[in-house]
Amino acid sequence: MKITIENLTKQFDNHLAVNNFSAQIESGQLVSLLGPSGCGKSTMLNMLSGILTPSQGKIWFDEDDVTDVAAEKRGVGLVFQNYALYPHMTVLENICFPLEIQRVPKAERIARAKEMAQLVHVEDLLDRLPKQMSGGQQQRVAIARALVKKPRLLLLDEPLSNLDARLRIEMREEIRRIQQSIGITTIFVTHDQEEAMSISDAIILMKQGVLQQMDKPQELYDQPKNCFVADFLGNPTINKLNAVYEGGRLLVEGMPCDIETSSVPASAPLYLSCRVESVLINQKPSSIKGTIIDTYVIGKENIANIQVGNSRVRAYIDSDSALRPTEEVTLSFKNKGVFLFDANSGERYI
Amino acid sequence: MKKIHSIKFSRIILYIVLALGAIIMVLPFYWMIIGAFKTSAEINQFPPVWFPSSFNLDNFKFALETAPFATYFLNSLIVTFCCLICCTFTTILGAFAFSRLKFFGRDILFSLLLALMMVPFEMLIITNYRTIVSWNIHDTLFALIVPFTSSIFYTYILKNFFASIPESLYQAARIDGCSNWKYLWRIMVPIAKPALVTIILLNAIACWNSFLWPMIATNSPAVRTLPFGLYAFQTEGGALMERMMAAATLVVLPMILLFLFARKYIVNGVARGGLKG
Repeated sequence: MKITIENLTKQFDNHLAVNNFSAQIESGQLVSLLGPSGCGKSTMLNMLSGILTPSQGKIWFDEDDVTDVAAEKRGVGLVFQNYALYPHMTVLENICFPLEIQRVPKAERIARAKEMAQLVHVEDLLDRLPKQMSGGQQQRVAIARALVKKPRLLLLDEPLSNLDARLRIEMREEIRRIQQSIGITTIFVTHDQEEAMSISDAIILMKQGVLQQMDKPQELYDQPKNCFVADFLGNPTINKLNAVYEGGRLLVEGMPCDIETSSVPASAPLYLSCRVESVLINQKPSSIKGTIIDTYVIGKENIANIQVGNSRVRAYIDSDSALRPTEEVTLSFKNKGVFLFDANSGERYI
Repeated sequence: MKKIHSIKFSRIILYIVLALGAIIMVLPFYWMIIGAFKTSAEINQFPPVWFPSSFNLDNFKFALETAPFATYFLNSLIVTFCCLICCTFTTILGAFAFSRLKFFGRDILFSLLLALMMVPFEMLIITNYRTIVSWNIHDTLFALIVPFTSSIFYTYILKNFFASIPESLYQAARIDGCSNWKYLWRIMVPIAKPALVTIILLNAIACWNSFLWPMIATNSPAVRTLPFGLYAFQTEGGALMERMMAAATLVVLPMILLFLFARKYIVNGVARGGLKG
């Protein structure tokens, strides 16, 4: 099912949670709603599910305007952050419950529930109570319960945040597998960029209720539309250097830089943002100098912290590199992963 | 080594204190029950007789024959049962409304109701009495039931329990198309079972032991309940201790049985703690 969101706005008492949000989600896709806490992503999800009514704007499911349709008539399945399993019911009863409400005959609902339990791999736990299961198992049951009534849209509200790191990776792959196997349009709310990057067909990045960018994960990383998007994505976070365009050339932390620029307003404060993997040390002649502060190991590579003017830059170095603190280095940049933003508006120039 | 000893020592002290508490709690009941089996000679003996020489049932027989205990018992049963059904029902509905439904003035209304709890029952007797007289149900079993068909206190307890049930359960059920009514009975009430059992039990004891109101609202023996029957027995049967003990045992017995039966739920309710999931 295709979802179209049109100028959606949600105003709480004196707080604008979602501001003039428009997006289109293609049928069968898994789309992440990503953003820092309080950016309005859960509000978006609640408006899609029908728990909240929007202040303005419209929501379309395929050709149907569902803006004023009650939650139970929209055909959405919702998985909550805390799973919201009924604690007094067994797994089977939990999965059956949505069908019981729809007055599906008992034999059929048990058959359908068992089918769902098989899909999410909890078929051996049908007699357990929620408290007798691990977080990951509860999560699977919650997904089965959301899917059993054959919804048109599956909504997941931070479904992995209560799980430990290892289980989180396992469950996100499971969510992807289940989503693919039934081809249901899915919206996944998260504040974890790695989660969003790893399983989504597309990511919607939000900040303070405003859509910043909607794109494929790789596009979002390679071609951020503004400074916030570039800052938010990437681990380690992107390097930010103060820059200014003066006398026909770019000065980075006061040092001339040979990056090609055009259509940049003169004298305006800028940020030169570069991905950690795009910083080259002592590889090309350059007038940007820095001092090594320290180096540390993060697995297969090392990272060097470098003081450049008033900013710090992180760069990958070989694990057998001879670079030591206080050493002077020359910095240059790859073509990819280097962006120039307006420091005030966040607008991207290159 | 020293530490282990001091832990053991504090344990022993703890158990001694607990044992003393238990004895103090149980002793009156024990005294009442053995008193019921004693002869009139034994009851006044000093030093006291801790184990009666024989378990004679004469006292019980006398108690049952002298006062219409069967009628009292049946009346108590009817009144307690009806109060429990009505009060539990209104408590559940009220607690749900005050914890889940959103309506204008909800919190102010509830504060007003809570403020009413500060009015002692004795103050309400006059108004309640006038009400039952004007409804013409004075001296009937209805008079013993109608004033107790709702309770602010129990509503307050249950409301707090309901409010502790995560909102997401409600939303999950709503999205599946579950009505408020169905959500209440299928999800909330089963989850709140420990709290409900506690409320029902407290209410049962209060109804069963209720004395002042039945004494005022009823005159005829046909509608008297057990506690007032016991009081009447004192005058009708004479102040013979062993017979009083037998009658008292008969009155208390159902409550003790109820407690033993429901003990599992009470302990569960306390031990369960917070909700997971």
